[in-house]
Amino acid sequence: MALRARLASINPERMVLIRGALRPGILVEEAEAPASQSPPDVFVLRWLGLGSDSSLASTLVAQECEILYQTCGTQCFGGLDRGRALCAMDAELVAMLAPCGTPKLNYASQPPVTMLTQVFWDEPAFTPLVAQRDRVSRSARVTVYSYLEQGE
Amino acid sequence: MMAENWFAAPAPIAQRARAYFAPVSRATKTPVVFDASQQGAFDLDSPPAPWIDLGPIQRLTRSAGSKSVARMAGIPAAALEQARETLNAQVSFEFLSWTKLTMALATGSQHMNLLVPATGGTPACDGAQAAPAVALQAGSTASVLQLAAADAARFAAGSTIAVDADYTGQTGFLGTPVSGAYLRQPLNDVDYIRRITFNVALVSQVAGSALTLAQPLPGGVPAPGSKLQALAGFVDREGGTFYQEWSALFVIAGTQGERIFFHYPRLQSIAGTEETTQPVDGKQEGGLAQSLLRGRFLALPVPDPLDGERVLCYRTFLPAPHALI
Repeated sequence: MALRARLASINPERMVLIRGALRPGILVEEAEAPASQSPPDVFVLRWLGLGSDSSLASTLVAQECEILYQTCGTQCFGGLDRGRALCAMDAELVAMLAPCGTPKLNYASQPPVTMLTQVFWDEPAFTPLVAQRDRVSRSARVTVYSYLEQGE
Repeated sequence: MMAENWFAAPAPIAQRARAYFAPVSRATKTPVVFDASQQGAFDLDSPPAPWIDLGPIQRLTRSAGSKSVARMAGIPAAALEQARETLNAQVSFEFLSWTKLTMALATGSQHMNLLVPATGGTPACDGAQAAPAVALQAGSTASVLQLAAADAARFAAGSTIAVDADYTGQTGFLGTPVSGAYLRQPLNDVDYIRRITFNVALVSQVAGSALTLAQPLPGGVPAPGSKLQALAGFVDREGGTFYQEWSALFVIAGTQGERIFFHYPRLQSIAGTEETTQPVDGKQEGGLAQSLLRGRFLALPVPDPLDGERVLCYRTFLPAPHALI
């Protein structure tokens, strides 16, 4: 949700229509209906590996997050601007990830409850660009950390 | 049942430390105080005056060389008590940029501005005779300099400039608020103060007779009678007798909102000019490399007004909100 708010501020025009609602163009794969292909011009978050260190004063949990994005460019340029469009998404992602932390919120209750600690993450590691016909894509991996709080 | 409203915070996790420096008044030997109880929550991109943000640094190493001696007694001898024999602390780190201030801090000696030379000036290692300075007009501020129209036409966006008074034969520490040199005997160079001043800036815009600066002058509003000269770069020397002395503040900002401050009221550079290289791509040692300025400093003591003890450094910790202490 923090990245969603940041994206809305960085590029208010990057929107996606999901289930009839227009939202900032970032979604969590597992929270949406299964699809054979990710939508273009949208950031898709996918949670991967999980680790924890319980030897600390509070247990540190690390989760690897993959952020995938792809574009075909714009129709007005016949897709020939897809490289530029992907570069714009690269820059938006870097901007979204700074600063590298945000308050931890509990969304199990409504409205969400702000917890005591912060979620934080490391620098993103970008993969090489992949070109498939008229579509170019890239992904970035970020390790996201948080401390387990009382009762979690 | 009341929910817990605290957590046990592990050791801080942080990105690179940040460095802030402020000028020590050399004439009065007055360092700059940092009070974390009042200023500890400052915006890291906008430190309280007179601290100057030098950005992130790397390989910050603090070494405490203070020695204690034990007073022995008895047979067999055993330590009865300890006494502090010497006070010593050093700091070293690498700057991640080359600026007037980082370069000056990373040299063990005097640091100078390379003034744009006059036509036909005799070559000199620290700059030939400079092109004549131009006088500032009334209404100049730290960010906008007013000149006569003909003088303003000599500058353009992208010019770098030094602003300070003419040298008129003074001796002792020179430069305000930053002492950039110490002269034992008078010189015959009207531009000498502008050669050593820290009052330098980049011109971002020239409009009519006004020069707008990209960053305000470190010395604030120029004093009446100040003049302006274009500069080409900076130069320092291995050798000389002058030591840079600054108050320093290093901040480690943890991910949970905690902060660690290392405040050195008086730091003097102890090493000559040193650079290290760092590959841009860690996987290609022989490829492109960054040249980084390396600074090494000796901490000098100040009396703590609280109890009169002589100290070299203050370490302050502001815990994360809601963390057990």
